[in-house]
Amino acid sequence: MSVVNYGTREITCKIVYYGPGRSGKTTNLQHVYSQLPEERKGKMVSLATETDRTLFFDFLPLDLGTISGFATRFQLYTVPGQVYYAATRKLVLQGVDGVVFVADSQSRQLAENIESLQDLHANLADEGHDPRTIPLVMQYNKRDLPAAEISSIEDLDEVLNFRGVPHYAAAAIAGKGVFETLRSISTLVLSRLSAPATKGA
Amino acid sequence: MARDAGKEAEEEGGEFADFLADVSKEIAQRVESLDKKATPAAAPKKKTPIAADAGVIVEWPNVADRMIEDIR
Repeated sequence: MSVVNYGTREITCKIVYYGPGRSGKTTNLQHVYSQLPEERKGKMVSLATETDRTLFFDFLPLDLGTISGFATRFQLYTVPGQVYYAATRKLVLQGVDGVVFVADSQSRQLAENIESLQDLHANLADEGHDPRTIPLVMQYNKRDLPAAEISSIEDLDEVLNFRGVPHYAAAAIAGKGVFETLRSISTLVLSRLSAPATKGA
Repeated sequence: MARDAGKEAEEEGGEFADFLADVSKEIAQRVESLDKKATPAAAPKKKTPIAADAGVIVEWPNVADRMIEDIR
């Protein structure tokens, strides 16, 4: 996806929230949506099963208005975390500009986090992205759970964050760390704003 | 007239407004630097060096020959 188009004076960023099932990806988007001023609230598309787990994906368009002469839009997506929705995850990753990996801090979920991260890397590579360079931010969610149930930030970082990208502790259900994460990935994506010569790339 | 989103964000307050203000600042900086790259300052025009003997026709015989040839 083109981040910046000088011809049409538009900036469009596609950010995908990735991670294992029940790690809190949808909760992140719901918190962002809840904080939008009424006049900016578009439609958050959320397709979920009867048990509230994301069946297809969530989509939240953020129309930020005109910034420095550019109509600026952020598109936030989540993928279904469950293993059997592999095709959907690949589809959602098409044209991605940046990824937030939402890890579940619970110690018993460590294997699922690793599996999901490996899945992310494989899918990014399949879509022609370099998993080593694409803008990425780690979010260690559910920090509000009892300390005995969750891994330390250091342990999670050591196992999951081998690229050394920015990481954030979060309790998305309470809105903690949600906007810090979004701000961080947005800055990383915008730092890739390309020169006019490469417009439409 | 459309107002800049960054200015609106400053007035709105709240988490989203802070986010919007930061994004606006980031974009403004990037766009400014890209615009500078896109339209580099015009390079000063190179003046044709004037030789010390400028104005003096040193190949007079050849010039005369060509003029005579043209008249013919």
